[in-house]
Amino acid sequence: MSIAQSGGNPRRDLLQGTLALLVLKALALEEMHGMGISRRIAQITNGTFEVKAGSLFPALHRMEEAGWLTSFWGEAETNRRAKFYRLTKLGRRQLETETEQWQRISLAIASALRAT
Amino acid sequence: MPIRRFYRCCRNILRRGRIAEDLDEELRSYIEMVADEKERAGRTSEEAIREACRETGKLEQVKERVLDVKAGASVDRFFQDLGYGLRMLRRNPGFAIIAITILALGIGATTAIFSVVDAVVFKPLPFPNADRLVRINSVLAATGNGDVASYPDFLDWRTRSRAFERMAAFRTNDFTLVGDREAVHLHGAVVSAELFPLLGVKPLIGRSFLSKEDEPSAASGANPLILSYSLWQREFSSDTSVLGVSIRVDGHAFIVVGVMPQGFQFPIEAEPIELWTTIAVDATGGANAMTAQRGAHYLDVEGLLKPNASVKQAEAEMAVIATTLSKEHPENKARSARVVPEVEGLAGKVRAPLLVLLGAVCCVLLIVCVNVASLLLGRAVGRRKEMAIRAAVGASRGRVISQLLTESLALSLLGGALGLVVAVSSLGLLRRILPPEIPRLESVGINGHLLIFALVISTASGIVFGLAPALQGSRVTLTEPLSENWGRSSSGGKAQGRLRGALVIGEVALAVTLLLGAGLLIQSFLHLIHVDLGFDPNHVLTFEVNSPPENAGASPHQFFGRIVQQISTIPGVSSASADATLPLTGDAMRSSIELEGQPMPLGSRPSANFNVVEPGFFRTLRIKLIQGRDFTEYDNVKSTPVVIVNRALAQRFFANQNPIGKHVRPGIGNGYGPGEPPMREIIGVIGDISQGGVDAEASPEVYAPLAQSPFGTMFIALRTSGDAKAMVNAVRRQVMMIDKNTPIYHVKTLDQYLSQSFTLPRVVTLLLSGFGSIALILACLGVYGVVSYVTLQRTREVGIRIALGAPQAQVLMMIMAEGLRPALLGIVIGVGVAFKLTGVLASLLFRVKPTDLATFAAVSALLAIVTLMACYIPARRAAKTDPMCSLRYE
Repeated sequence: MSIAQSGGNPRRDLLQGTLALLVLKALALEEMHGMGISRRIAQITNGTFEVKAGSLFPALHRMEEAGWLTSFWGEAETNRRAKFYRLTKLGRRQLETETEQWQRISLAIASALRAT
Repeated sequence: MPIRRFYRCCRNILRRGRIAEDLDEELRSYIEMVADEKERAGRTSEEAIREACRETGKLEQVKERVLDVKAGASVDRFFQDLGYGLRMLRRNPGFAIIAITILALGIGATTAIFSVVDAVVFKPLPFPNADRLVRINSVLAATGNGDVASYPDFLDWRTRSRAFERMAAFRTNDFTLVGDREAVHLHGAVVSAELFPLLGVKPLIGRSFLSKEDEPSAASGANPLILSYSLWQREFSSDTSVLGVSIRVDGHAFIVVGVMPQGFQFPIEAEPIELWTTIAVDATGGANAMTAQRGAHYLDVEGLLKPNASVKQAEAEMAVIATTLSKEHPENKARSARVVPEVEGLAGKVRAPLLVLLGAVCCVLLIVCVNVASLLLGRAVGRRKEMAIRAAVGASRGRVISQLLTESLALSLLGGALGLVVAVSSLGLLRRILPPEIPRLESVGINGHLLIFALVISTASGIVFGLAPALQGSRVTLTEPLSENWGRSSSGGKAQGRLRGALVIGEVALAVTLLLGAGLLIQSFLHLIHVDLGFDPNHVLTFEVNSPPENAGASPHQFFGRIVQQISTIPGVSSASADATLPLTGDAMRSSIELEGQPMPLGSRPSANFNVVEPGFFRTLRIKLIQGRDFTEYDNVKSTPVVIVNRALAQRFFANQNPIGKHVRPGIGNGYGPGEPPMREIIGVIGDISQGGVDAEASPEVYAPLAQSPFGTMFIALRTSGDAKAMVNAVRRQVMMIDKNTPIYHVKTLDQYLSQSFTLPRVVTLLLSGFGSIALILACLGVYGVVSYVTLQRTREVGIRIALGAPQAQVLMMIMAEGLRPALLGIVIGVGVAFKLTGVLASLLFRVKPTDLATFAAVSALLAIVTLMACYIPARRAAKTDPMCSLRYE
């Protein structure tokens, strides 16, 4: 499943929120560049989410505008210059609240689906 | 949070170059790293890069999306587009100059006319209570004519109505102030005490009138007087000790009680009001006092609506009160009341023509927009490749549209800025050519309203002319324009041809409508200036003079008679006389008349213009005496009461009879003492004379001799053998010799009154014809443009046809049809629209019907011929082309 970002899609908000949460989660451990984040998300979701550049970079920049991330230029593993992203304090708090929210929703949905 | 967002917004806009570079580098490094990964998985480096690029997607689209989420993105993009638009304009200066120039003319003219309409028609009055001020008119129920009310009516209205917080009566008056130096003439007003609190204005120094000062009892002592600021400055050197001082006005003592603030004026008229006194001056004379007569309609009435009352409610209430009064008093029979917002009543007769001009100039602006739109369409052809490239690298259609619209906006704002210069420089001209008696004309000038209006219409026109070309230009197929042999007869070209055709239809229709309006006004104006006035206005000098009350012993007839006699002795004066209301001034007095043998109650009698003259008046103005004789010295209060009537009156009331020797009873002008005015014998009939204006039919008129109906203020008229203006000083000296305390005023030649009465129709006709001509030229350019475009599109086809032997005439017709078809359709639509619309001109037209067939036919023919020419020129060029040349063209 890929996370597309197309205008006018009613699921857009939900998916955008999901993408933001996944990016926050991916950056929780360490700072990373764009491709690293994309690969990490694929890894931690067991390949369910494959984030394309067209969705990833707008999301990263939107989160930076919101003050959840900061960015800086650094050196990647392959000696290439790359732009790295790091969680801010605000970003960590956002991760906490979103995780909590997500768990509540997924519990509720799961129990709703179990009910007969 | 908003503060931080705002901060980021500003920072992003300032650093937008860095941000874009940064993003480029970030994406490049991303692609490289993806490619590195592919290479590690065993691809060749070329394959790796190709796959990485495919995976990333359209790069421009990604970038655009990222920049979109940046704070301030839309603002930034607007400025980016604006800058790009301006660069594009600079690259094509011919187009830019033409478009900006016609936009500047259109926007400038519209703004200038708007600012006149705004100042004269729309602007609220300069009083605190302006929005609640209304004029209450006393009108004849049957016709709705009339405006002034009588004092007893006013008092009843005031006590019986509930919708008004306050009500006041007033009239203007000419006063003579006798000071230490020579006597001066002053224009002033007689008002009821409540007027100033009603307007919400307090005097600068001193006090307003007290309500007890309206009362007739106050007339025994000295009446109170309030000075205007300028009179206080001029005659009393701004001395505050003027309060309480007694001054002599019209031979009576008045006590100065206050001075109004600078700039205050009421009623608002072109001639400034310099002093105010109370209605008590009209209350002398007991039962014969003006204020005591219910039949004496001579006062304007102003009302202040209660905060929650509407004009409609007030009018409904006043109608009930008027009906009750008409039952209670025979004088009020058939009378009703009308309530008009003061600001509307003030603009009066100029309201309709000014609004017509505003509508016309807006049409011109629309035509300008249509022309710029077709210019833009022409340019869009040259920019198809650019648009295709934009689409190919991922610009969405919305993005292209917004960019094209921003370019149009750049164009219209430049046009607007230049238009503002046009507007401001034409304001002075407009103020000079419009009739100076338009109230508040002097307040026309540069102000916030004008600037805002210019900005709004510039923006609006940018969108109007930019939208269709933007929608059209953004609709591109990717491959077609990019291929080298992209044909000129492509489908896009056809759609554009249709759009151009529609634009031509629209602008020709607008031009036809405007020209029809102009044609009707021109006809009307020609009728107006060639109308038989019924008198000879050349070489006649006129002035006004008041009979001084000090000469109470002598009757007005003796006083004015002496002036006429003295003036007749001046060398160069061939004859002189006097009358109470001059033709062309629009100040005719109206009176009821009763016909001999047809007794009728007061309220239902017919009415006629009433005038008072000295013997020789008709000879002096060269008014034709058709029947009977002129007045003589022997027609006085000792002899039979007599009148002279005009032809219109004789025809209406004495058709097929000899009017001489018949009797009529005018309701005013009684010099025979108290009691009912006398029946008067008709001794002469004169030709109809024009009272000026556009009233098509001559009104019935009655003239009485001054000796039998005394009148305190008269116009003296003298016919000269040479230049009438040169007599002014001699005349002034003669009048001074008779009474040094009697100033003469309103010194003007009859010619001046005549040209003054034509000023408004002339200006409106002139401006509308100007607008119509501009519309015609622009519409022709549009037709010319569409035919040229078609010619260009079909060069190859024309070449083939000529090569195959098609006759030149046939080719010519084929191409011309492309322009003629929409033009003719435009003419038909324009005629249809005008047929519905010219009704709004009805009140401005003199002896021309709004649907005058000749005008409609002439204008349609003119448009048809002119558009035919506009089609012929480019079409002939196409038909003459060398077939080889046109085939090689592509």
